[in-house]
Amino acid sequence: MAKIKLQDVSFFYGKGTAYCKEALKKVNIEIKEGSITGLIGHTGSGKSTMLQLLNGLATPSEGKVYLDGVDIWEKPKEIGKVRFRVGLVMQYPEYQLFEETVEKDIAFGPKNMGLNEAEIAERINEAIDFVGLSSDVLQKNPFDLSGGQKRRVAIAGVIAMRPEVLVLDEPAAGLDPQGRDVILDGIFKYREKTGATVIIVSHSMEDMARLCDDIIVLSHGEVVLNGTRDEVFAESEMLERIGLAVPQITLLMHELNARGIKINNGIYTEEAAVDEIAGLFGGAR
Amino acid sequence: MKSVSLGQYYAVKSPIHSLDPRIKIVLAILYIVIVFLCSNLLSMALLLVSAIVIVALSNIPLKIVIKSVKPILFIIAFTAIINIFWTTEGNLWLDLGFAKVYDKGVINALFLMVRIFVLIIGSSILLTYTTTPIALTDGIERLLSPLKRIGLPVHDFAMIMTIALRFIPTLMEEAEKIMNAQKARGADFTNGSLIQRAKALIPILIPLFSSSIRHALDLATAMECRCYRGGEGRTRMKILKCRASDIFALLLVIGFGAAVVCINIFASPFLPF
Repeated sequence: MAKIKLQDVSFFYGKGTAYCKEALKKVNIEIKEGSITGLIGHTGSGKSTMLQLLNGLATPSEGKVYLDGVDIWEKPKEIGKVRFRVGLVMQYPEYQLFEETVEKDIAFGPKNMGLNEAEIAERINEAIDFVGLSSDVLQKNPFDLSGGQKRRVAIAGVIAMRPEVLVLDEPAAGLDPQGRDVILDGIFKYREKTGATVIIVSHSMEDMARLCDDIIVLSHGEVVLNGTRDEVFAESEMLERIGLAVPQITLLMHELNARGIKINNGIYTEEAAVDEIAGLFGGAR
Repeated sequence: MKSVSLGQYYAVKSPIHSLDPRIKIVLAILYIVIVFLCSNLLSMALLLVSAIVIVALSNIPLKIVIKSVKPILFIIAFTAIINIFWTTEGNLWLDLGFAKVYDKGVINALFLMVRIFVLIIGSSILLTYTTTPIALTDGIERLLSPLKRIGLPVHDFAMIMTIALRFIPTLMEEAEKIMNAQKARGADFTNGSLIQRAKALIPILIPLFSSSIRHALDLATAMECRCYRGGEGRTRMKILKCRASDIFALLLVIGFGAAVVCINIFASPFLPF
């Protein structure tokens, strides 16, 4: 069954004023339980709005959002519970740290859930481990950490709630390649260990290719492509038309194909490409 | 939160919008003085007409104008009622037993209402609705520039004001983002006792403070990079120019003020109030 389902969801900003803007138009998507789904689209395509609809930070103007088949707005007073189940890491989450120590900051979510001290401590250690930080940062002031470390602390703050669905808005934006790898690996590990469903927004097609099972493409508030990674990246022309791209290595494969070299189009990583090209010359590398 | 429009500026084209901000500031001050000069029935009627003309000229929908008066309706009603029941001059109109209403009281209340309405509508249309905050501070700077001679850092004040105004929407957007992020971690800003709710603001205020300091540092660096050295010898991209229409508007308002004064002096003896 679909973990999350959006049915005919529309969202308008500034409804009833001269500045009314339709951010999402009749969106229908289903997100499979335990999958990693990538959400891509150019700036202003409605990605961030969609993420906020998933955990009830925004209310759909029209349509319904289902979590495990239950409308999340059925009992508006209990929307807080939905937010614990669907953990949202917003863009540049490092700017939301506020406590004196890393430990206290990560504890903010679990504390709001009403967990006891022992449980909170356990979750903090688990979360810090997922994002690849050592336990000696716990007593540090988060404002003394580096940008990448702050980002990881902020993500740990959401992971510590052990959400069934982890939603991340560009978790790796503005980080160096190493920082990016650590965070993406952490997200992958979290999914492997807990079986959680992950939804991730990114502008890096390489990251998407590496991480995601399914990909949803938004353009001007509408879902234009929705399928498995292979299905979506096969549509390179469509993606380019709406201002996106396929991973560079995939583009290379497409170009080779277009020039009459018979080669597999569904290649997303450099290793696979090397193998494929080596195969052309009749042997392993 | 997106609905909060700063300074209420309403972007349409109108003769009032296109006036020089300096002139508009002077006009607003003149107009406020005139509002208080009006003291009899005829001048009040004239004042009301002038306010209607200003609203019509500004091209701003009536709905928006009325919205700006809403917050002070209570104060207006309250002062009007006091005026009606506590004035004991003129002829008795109504005797309710517990209170007596005199015609002078009713007229006083009416005048007061007209004054406050016209004051708010006139000044907000002449200034905040039709002038961008930036143009407004620019106008203030130019009007105050003679004070530079006595050593007041007028340019710096204007720059501080401009920057403060410029960052209000940015900080509001940031506050909204931070609020959402903390809500996503289960923060609750609406329930609980007053103290609990005040405490719930800490997770918003600390990141907000830290980000405003960050913005300030970034902005300072950016300004230094573009060789900002204060007002000394600085030229402007947009030079304010007084045009014929500005002079005309100024003369119009001065003429209106003169008319009101004349009415006060010469027409008063012939009017009942």
